Amino acid sequence: MKKQFLKVAMGVLISGALITSCKKDTVEEPNEEEVITTMKLNFVPVGGGTTLTYQFRDADGPGGAAPTQDEIVLAPSKSYNVTVQLLNETETPAEDITLEVAAEADAHRFYYEPTAGSNIVVSGLNNDANGVPVGITGTWATGAIATGKIKVTLRHFGGTPPGKAIGDLVNSSKSSTDIEVEFNTKIQ
Amino acid sequence: MKLILIIIIAILIANGAIAQPCVYKLSGHVEDVDTKEKLVAATASIKETGKQIITNEKGDFVFAALCAGEYTLIITHVSCDTVVKKIILTKDYHIDILMPHTRKVLGDVIVDAQKGIANTGYKKELSGRALEETKGLSLAEALSKINGVTMLQTGSTIAKPIIHGLHSNRILTINNGVRQEGQQWGNEHAPEIDPFIADKLIVIKGVDELRYGSDAIGGVILVEPKGLRNKPGYAAEINSAYFTNNRQYVLSAMFEQQLKKQPAFRYRVQGTFKKGANAATPNYRLNNTGSEEKNFSITVGWKKERFNTEIFYSHFATKVGIFNGSHIGNLTDLLNAIAAPKPNDVFLGQNTYKIQRPYQDVSHDLLKSKTTFYMGEHKFTVLLAGQFNHRKEFDIVRSSTNKNPQLDLSIYTITEDFSWEHPKKNNFSGIGGLSLMQQDNSYSGRYFIPKYFAYTFGGYYIEKWSKHKWELQAGLRYDNKSINTTRLKFNADTINYDFNFSTFASSFNAVYKPTENWKLNTNISLASRAPYVNELLSDGIHHGTATYEKGDISLKPEHSINISAGINYQHPSKVFGFDLLLYSNSINNFIYQQPMPNNPVLTIAGAFPLITYKQTDAILSGFDISTLIKPVPAFDWGSKFSFLHARNKTLNDWLILMPANRLSNEITYNLKDSKIITNTYVSVEMLNVMQQKNIPSDANGKQDYKAPPAAYTLINMNASATMAVYKTPVTISVGVRNLLNTVYRDYLNSMRYFSDEMGRNISLRLKIQLQ
Repeated sequence: MKKQFLKVAMGVLISGALITSCKKDTVEEPNEEEVITTMKLNFVPVGGGTTLTYQFRDADGPGGAAPTQDEIVLAPSKSYNVTVQLLNETETPAEDITLEVAAEADAHRFYYEPTAGSNIVVSGLNNDANGVPVGITGTWATGAIATGKIKVTLRHFGGTPPGKAIGDLVNSSKSSTDIEVEFNTKIQ
Repeated sequence: MKLILIIIIAILIANGAIAQPCVYKLSGHVEDVDTKEKLVAATASIKETGKQIITNEKGDFVFAALCAGEYTLIITHVSCDTVVKKIILTKDYHIDILMPHTRKVLGDVIVDAQKGIANTGYKKELSGRALEETKGLSLAEALSKINGVTMLQTGSTIAKPIIHGLHSNRILTINNGVRQEGQQWGNEHAPEIDPFIADKLIVIKGVDELRYGSDAIGGVILVEPKGLRNKPGYAAEINSAYFTNNRQYVLSAMFEQQLKKQPAFRYRVQGTFKKGANAATPNYRLNNTGSEEKNFSITVGWKKERFNTEIFYSHFATKVGIFNGSHIGNLTDLLNAIAAPKPNDVFLGQNTYKIQRPYQDVSHDLLKSKTTFYMGEHKFTVLLAGQFNHRKEFDIVRSSTNKNPQLDLSIYTITEDFSWEHPKKNNFSGIGGLSLMQQDNSYSGRYFIPKYFAYTFGGYYIEKWSKHKWELQAGLRYDNKSINTTRLKFNADTINYDFNFSTFASSFNAVYKPTENWKLNTNISLASRAPYVNELLSDGIHHGTATYEKGDISLKPEHSINISAGINYQHPSKVFGFDLLLYSNSINNFIYQQPMPNNPVLTIAGAFPLITYKQTDAILSGFDISTLIKPVPAFDWGSKFSFLHARNKTLNDWLILMPANRLSNEITYNLKDSKIITNTYVSVEMLNVMQQKNIPSDANGKQDYKAPPAAYTLINMNASATMAVYKTPVTISVGVRNLLNTVYRDYLNSMRYFSDEMGRNISLRLKIQLQ
């Protein structure tokens, strides 16, 4: 009987040791996942003037505190060279995600859709290496005084190869949405 | 058609090569294990042939004129537990059978004695031929052959079982005696188990659930391997399969041995490799739907008369692609996908084994030690197990240089289970036990559930009484669970919540057998389940459904009262039998996801509908019926129908994502055993899945943007034959799923928003048993 107990105790101990040795100490890991917290639109007036910056900012990423969003205010009958910038501000210093979009330009495309009556026309979007718009830079032309909206959408072409083509619309089933922000606009 | 021809030719060739008449004898001797008394009038029967012989005054029986092949020998005697033995017959064979009166003898042959008290309540088993037909499929696909069990899918590669409408954390999966602890909470998290380990897949409800937890509101799945070898010598088995649709191939091999010089020592090694390319629907092939699986296990056992110990280690690793046309950025994308009749061509047409983002990479390791010993007539079991589950999900990312997973969860679990069985006395037998669990979950990458430590302790006691026509069973269980959670924030802050839940369960089961042919069963079970961390603390975008999911820390445990009644009838001449189960599972504080239509969450990717975890009172009621008609001995006609109504009582509405009612009819033609070919059959199944019309109304917040798909009918086929090739049993099978290449979508597959289901899939299986 005693011998049996010894055997059992041994078995228990050995397997216990085996099990605990599998378990390594867990390290507190930082939240390393990339999020886009901020989209900035930088407006450089053609022919000189102060650079304007408007942004959508969700400092803690999706959920949590609500995002803040600027109204885009531009002068009438003017042209602006606009550059879009995407940031991850949960990291210090902030990570510039625009560089990643530019590096994979053939799989990304910004679309700019002003509402009718907003008196904004977006043109001259820059192209990727295949000559298809990527839209990190472009030209915004304003008309007479007006209020309206503009929707800025970044679409990701997930196919391999991405198959991005000039004719692809913003709602193409080839691509999915990375960013979709609608700004109020005012020309005054 | 070509395939069938090839097989016929193969059979003919085999015919010529090895014409062996059916001349083998299977003889046996039956005696009482304790008294060594020869047992007269024990019944020996062979399941496959249906032959029955009563032992003579010397306790002997002989089956003559048997063909080579695999047989299941069943020995019953009035005062003993039933003994079941698998025999591979390649020559005349003699077997000595020791019938157990008491629980003193351990042995793999004594199935009931090994598992303790037989479960007389709800128990559905998949084994033998039905299990063979599922070789190469996932665990959930195999289980869905059981009436009342369906599956929740994400494409063709990820599937998890649903029992009577309930899944994930409401079901316990017991892998070789150990409660599986992975990331079961997610709809796209399939069980991390190699089905080739199993000799039997069993679904149980009622009293025996209490041995595994108080939280099995939906039921318990037992993945049961075969016992270690019980006869000196070795055996090996090779299973291989090929599936035409996605060019999937499977190879699984097993080797086991009991040493001649040291018969107490026994071991088994087993491994499986599986790889599939992109799957095709009838009209198009879906990119990135391949999968790969590499598993192995080692079992080592030491068995003496009153002491038995076993160490089991298994490793499971899988990599599964997720259709890349299903990537959803926001609600607009989902609505666009729903509006499109088929996915865009850029996501179609590649026939490759290559897996790209998005994909899942999951591994599960289990190390277990189980020791059983006797003190007097009392049986004690100590089960220690360690598990490590690592789940990495790789989403589509902007930068191809990003090699990191977006979701990375590691969960370590250690369990200690102790049980005690008292000897059978005055028609009473019983088992009691204590269970402890320590668990550590950590994450990196995207937050979805927090890091946590959980500690559980619990105890149970089950007693069984049986006499004459009655069997009564009752049991109790209590569990206490503490969870300490930590959420890491990017600015090095943490958010901590601590929880403690007590859960109680009990069950009572009564069986009445008025005659040999009838069995009436009634059960009432109380179970309660503590909310899981994802229900308490999830916080993030669920990309598959384009919703923002938010947990609720104020959730309380769910309480269920499940009442069921079953009737089973078997005609004495076996020409007709039926099995009916009626159930009603009433769950108070049922945790579900409630849309909050007035509070969308605005993110940089647009506005997401908010869905929070809420509690309601729910009732899931339904019935399963199956019949078997054998008009002539060669033909079987089996029918199964399952029906479910799932209501949210508080909102007076339906519950979402519940399986549609379904009917299956299967006709099997069993060919007579010839001189060299045995166990030959051809079967055709027609499966009708109705449309799910009982869905939540939009009045309580829109939960789904696409109406459930239309009803569909599938025709499936199976054919199999076993032959002896140089005295080695070789089984060749052909299966066809979706024979007519029907275009359909299933309500419980999240890919129904994007694409059709898999088209015709022909499978070829080859099984070789060596010894």
